[in-house]
Amino acid sequence: MNPAQPQKMALPGVKNLLAVASGKGGVGKSTVAANLALALHAAGQKVGLMDADIYGPSVPIMFGLGQVNPQTTPFPLHKHGIALMSMGFMVDPNQAVIWRGPKVAQAVQAFLGQIPWGELDTLVIDLPPGTGDAQLTLSQTAPLTGAVIVTTPQDVSLIDARKGVRMFQEVRVPVLGVVENMSYFMGDDGKRYEIFRSGGGKKLAAEAGVPFLGELPIDPRVAECGDNGEPIVRKYPDSPIAKAYLQLAAAVIAESSRPGAAPLPEVQL
Amino acid sequence: MPRGQGAEKSGRPANSYNSRMANDVKPLSLKREGDGLKIDWSDGATTFVSWRKLRSSCPCASCIEERAKPADPFRVLTPQEAAAGPPEPTAMKPVGHYAYQITWNDGHSTGIYPVDALRKLSD
Repeated sequence: MNPAQPQKMALPGVKNLLAVASGKGGVGKSTVAANLALALHAAGQKVGLMDADIYGPSVPIMFGLGQVNPQTTPFPLHKHGIALMSMGFMVDPNQAVIWRGPKVAQAVQAFLGQIPWGELDTLVIDLPPGTGDAQLTLSQTAPLTGAVIVTTPQDVSLIDARKGVRMFQEVRVPVLGVVENMSYFMGDDGKRYEIFRSGGGKKLAAEAGVPFLGELPIDPRVAECGDNGEPIVRKYPDSPIAKAYLQLAAAVIAESSRPGAAPLPEVQL
Repeated sequence: MPRGQGAEKSGRPANSYNSRMANDVKPLSLKREGDGLKIDWSDGATTFVSWRKLRSSCPCASCIEERAKPADPFRVLTPQEAAAGPPEPTAMKPVGHYAYQITWNDGHSTGIYPVDALRKLSD
């Protein structure tokens, strides 16, 4: 048996396949992925969001959805104008998914290949942390347009983010840029507090030679909106952070419209 | 000084990842020629590598482990290996943007050859 047996996914209706990744957990990948998806939607795109975090799916809670009956519910689900797929739709939130790697690879392939995504401008893929099965399966089987790397400013986050960048470059997936989450907090006094230090995202982008896509400030409403199923870009579209996301979406659209990695030629045997 | 900053000054070029990406050489066409593979590359080079060399450099985990052991002079070929004769691919498919997977006539198919490795193995 060969669990790594790659099967090409065509996804004919999907123009751009965008992976949101980081080496480290807890930097806000899912929050960034959800809000970026909504910001792309606000920019006029048809958008899907695929939660590739099989062990710890967070798309359901961020979109106010829960477990559904997969026998009777057609996937993908739709909420706030986004087509959604997540392991969390199929498993009780209190139940742990205790799977070995090859099963994860299978699930990721099924999400990509067997869900009728239809016509989309961008399918955002929320990756789990690390550089393991989900990432490798995607790089081997999906025609990824590019990857956005999320980091927080401090060095302990950068060391892992650097590995994330490296992995995509190793498998020749273009890194569209680095986005720094939790960059600073704007106090009521108008002062900028750099809670997790500063400049990490810029540093990583410069070092990797990829664009720095922007800083996303800390705002307690981000967590509140995420937990309540309506991400901040939709709930408070005029907030500074929603504007930062719209800028990020514009940067991502600009970067992903550049000619990316062409598919490898077939071998004439 | 934080540790990360010190590491950056250790002689690695400032944009090491990017220069790597920019210089990524891509195969333009891959063709069987005689008992090997002829590849035309984006930098204008044309290289050739024999099937035998590719088969014996299989990058899969079990082959790497096999090669790390001392050669066994009494190893008996499996019937499939004996029937296959000299190594030849029965299929060679692209994997993502970065590699090719070769299925050999002896049934072995777990080797995924990154493009960089194909270039390094070729003359």
